[in-house]
Amino acid sequence: MFGRRNVMLALLALAAIAPPFANGYQIFVGNLVLIYILLSIGLNVLVGYAGQLAFANAAMFGIGAYTTGLLQVHFGWPFWAAFPCGGLLAAAVGTALSLPALRMSGLYLALSTLAFAQATQWVFLHWDAVTFGAGGFKTPHLSFDPIPISKPLGLYYLSLILAVLLYIFARHMVASRVGRAFVAVRDGEVAAESLGIDLLRYKALAFGISGLYAGIAGGLYSALLNFVAPEGYDLFQMIIQKSTIVVGGMGSVAGSVLGAAAIILLLELLREFKGVQEIVFGALLVGFVLFMRGGLVSVLQRYVRGWDEPLHAVKPRAEPAPLPNPEPQTSPVEK
Amino acid sequence: MLLFSYLLMSGVTTGALYALVALGLVVVNKATGVINFAQGEFFMFAGFVAWTLHVQFGMNYPLSFLLAVVVGFVLGALTDRIAFRPIDKNDIVSLVLATVGISFMLKGLARVIWGGKADYLSFPPITSPDPIMVGPIMVIPQQLAVLAGTLIIMLVFAAFFRLTRAGKMMQATADNARAARLVGIRTDHIYTLAFGTGAAIAGAAAVLTAPLTLLYPDIGFTFFLKGFAAAVLGGLTSLPGAVLGGLIVGVVESLAGGYIHSSVMELSPFIVIMIVLVFKPTGLLSFHKARRV
Amino acid sequence: MSSSLLSVRDLHISFGGVRVLQGVNLEVKPLEIRGLIGPNGAGKTTLLNAICGMHRPQQGAIAIEGQSVIGLKPSQIAERGLGRTFQTSQLFKGMTVLENLMTGLHRRTTTGFLSAGLYLRRGREEEVRTEEEARRVLQFVGMADFADRRGTALSFGQQRVVEIARTLIGDPKIVLLDEPAVGLSLNRLAELDALLRRIRDQKGVTLILIEHVIRLVMDVCDQVSVLGAGRVIADGAPETVRNDPGVIEAYLGKELRARHPAS
Repeated sequence: MFGRRNVMLALLALAAIAPPFANGYQIFVGNLVLIYILLSIGLNVLVGYAGQLAFANAAMFGIGAYTTGLLQVHFGWPFWAAFPCGGLLAAAVGTALSLPALRMSGLYLALSTLAFAQATQWVFLHWDAVTFGAGGFKTPHLSFDPIPISKPLGLYYLSLILAVLLYIFARHMVASRVGRAFVAVRDGEVAAESLGIDLLRYKALAFGISGLYAGIAGGLYSALLNFVAPEGYDLFQMIIQKSTIVVGGMGSVAGSVLGAAAIILLLELLREFKGVQEIVFGALLVGFVLFMRGGLVSVLQRYVRGWDEPLHAVKPRAEPAPLPNPEPQTSPVEK
Repeated sequence: MLLFSYLLMSGVTTGALYALVALGLVVVNKATGVINFAQGEFFMFAGFVAWTLHVQFGMNYPLSFLLAVVVGFVLGALTDRIAFRPIDKNDIVSLVLATVGISFMLKGLARVIWGGKADYLSFPPITSPDPIMVGPIMVIPQQLAVLAGTLIIMLVFAAFFRLTRAGKMMQATADNARAARLVGIRTDHIYTLAFGTGAAIAGAAAVLTAPLTLLYPDIGFTFFLKGFAAAVLGGLTSLPGAVLGGLIVGVVESLAGGYIHSSVMELSPFIVIMIVLVFKPTGLLSFHKARRV
Repeated sequence: MSSSLLSVRDLHISFGGVRVLQGVNLEVKPLEIRGLIGPNGAGKTTLLNAICGMHRPQQGAIAIEGQSVIGLKPSQIAERGLGRTFQTSQLFKGMTVLENLMTGLHRRTTTGFLSAGLYLRRGREEEVRTEEEARRVLQFVGMADFADRRGTALSFGQQRVVEIARTLIGDPKIVLLDEPAVGLSLNRLAELDALLRRIRDQKGVTLILIEHVIRLVMDVCDQVSVLGAGRVIADGAPETVRNDPGVIEAYLGKELRARHPAS
């Protein structure tokens, strides 16, 4: 009744119906939540499922936003052409980042990706001729012609459609051979290899997918703000994204949805106080790691039926519903 | 020549500070096998504490120095209790995220307490700000003070490791934690001590640096990355390696900043980290065989 | 010699100057159950790791069905039909028993991320087949009732059996077992004994086991190789090896006396 599927469908119905009755700010926050759902799912595939502790997701987010924005500003591309390029470029950079991951274990990977993220910031800040430096730049106004819809609503529904599609994609992907290979890499590289799982291939895939999701989110974010600047993609951004998966639940796609929603609402509540935001998000990271390692979704999995996320597809019932006890002849009653 | 000597000198000075941050990272990593991501924030926080004591309360420099070191130690020990001891040591993801969480809490706290004052706070120099000429080399006296301070800290630290009982137990724990436990060393206490010592060194480095630079809540991360670059150059478990690594990072960055462009300075730690980790993860200058983490 | 399924010739491996293997020769024929015994530090696990591609030998040859596997990645050697289990349990702790087995089928399946994510029919059908096969193999090893448990919720012995099943499902030609009997009770030992024979007889898999539990080795193995100080010091049927004076001297004597004072 209150299983994952039903709750998600109810949330989707709410998200689809509510906007015409909401004010501009509420639509903005709703859109932000959708963007962070994308970020969080991608990061969860990489960190939660494949176990690769990388700190470059904010940089991928930035690459998506900058590519989408700059292709419009410098070359006059329409958003609809620039936006996919942002996603693809972020996916490509993400895949390339997996090369160091093959040689490094947890800590070193964390630090080298952190250094990479700083280098990306450096490029955003100092390559003035292209990126417009620290001040950032405004992106052209997004129009949904010929569909008669306002920009905020159009962008909201575009984000919603992408979030739903990519949520479904991720759910199916992790409940398959590919998802199991990710978890195998996370839980034991040596055993995974002994079963014929190619570490390079699956690490690269996880990095690439998280890059793709972050890049798409970045393109949407640039359109939402109509503005791109380096500070949007810094270390603090990384912490917000990390918090979404830690709070929602690592290794759970549905957890990413819960985490993104919870974190963005909290962020908006504290929006005037950067210092307080930092304290709260730092405390959330420590608190959840210490006291609720599975995140919010683990509470649901424990107390509510139907929130489990098995790593295999639940077999579709092709035949009539099977008997509860398929082998009655072995029952002792008959003997 | 004058430019070169100036750049070299300031490179050595900042390099010495990176060396101290790296030393703190290495002490923790040697004992516990983890990198403390809050190391840079210990540095920043202790610096602010010293500023408050010295500038706001008018306490003299040596005493504020000492108190900042104590604050550093306490922060480090607390981090051990909160973000290291309760966590499964095989769970690297949790260990890293917990210290990252601590670092952000400290950063936020600093912003709330000191952030209102235009964000950047200056620390009055403790020596004359005018440069003096030593032969053909131009030197700012504060740089000499920093170098001397760094040297003293390193010597004290080396003595602590070699001569005191606590230091020897730390060494034993780093070499083989299980064996150390078997001979009755309370490794939990050693871990606390390692986190505390590492943070105390960072605190000392901050108070030495403060008169040369401005303090701001985000300064910690910069120093953390550069300290890490230095530590990784030295192989992450070598104390002399960390010192040498710090000097190299400092000088390279100073020369790159002077001869290429000042913005390149920020890029140097990234380049060092990537090159070393990708091509020779055991460190370029490793004196010991690096331990697998 | 071409009848060998696995052939190791003159294998040398050293770590930082310590010569662990100094010219090991090993020929294993199809459908054999081969025991590999020897005192601690004789190089048994190193040999096993070398065959799996985790250590690269300085010298020597390793071939499966006559084809060299030197220089291949462990995952590629697994593709050639080599499976293994580990000394300590290596079940994936985030998965159920069933999912562990389904992961074992990785190399025999092909679904990529697109066909999985887009939920294409081909991937769906393969997923159904994967699950059926996993349940079949669980049935074969007698663990069908545990399919939905977490690996960590099982006893030590059960984890071993699941791990063997996970390797088995990939349809390997050879399986290397690293001390499968450690910590098993006598009853469990008898079950393992029977399971290994069934694996060989019904699945047609060649087994190589490193084992300290001499009783199991003597019972189940057709051939036993004794490793001592980086070399094979004896090779042959269990009785022959058991009565080889050199082996008794080097290893078995003290081991047998210690474990089975009556024999």
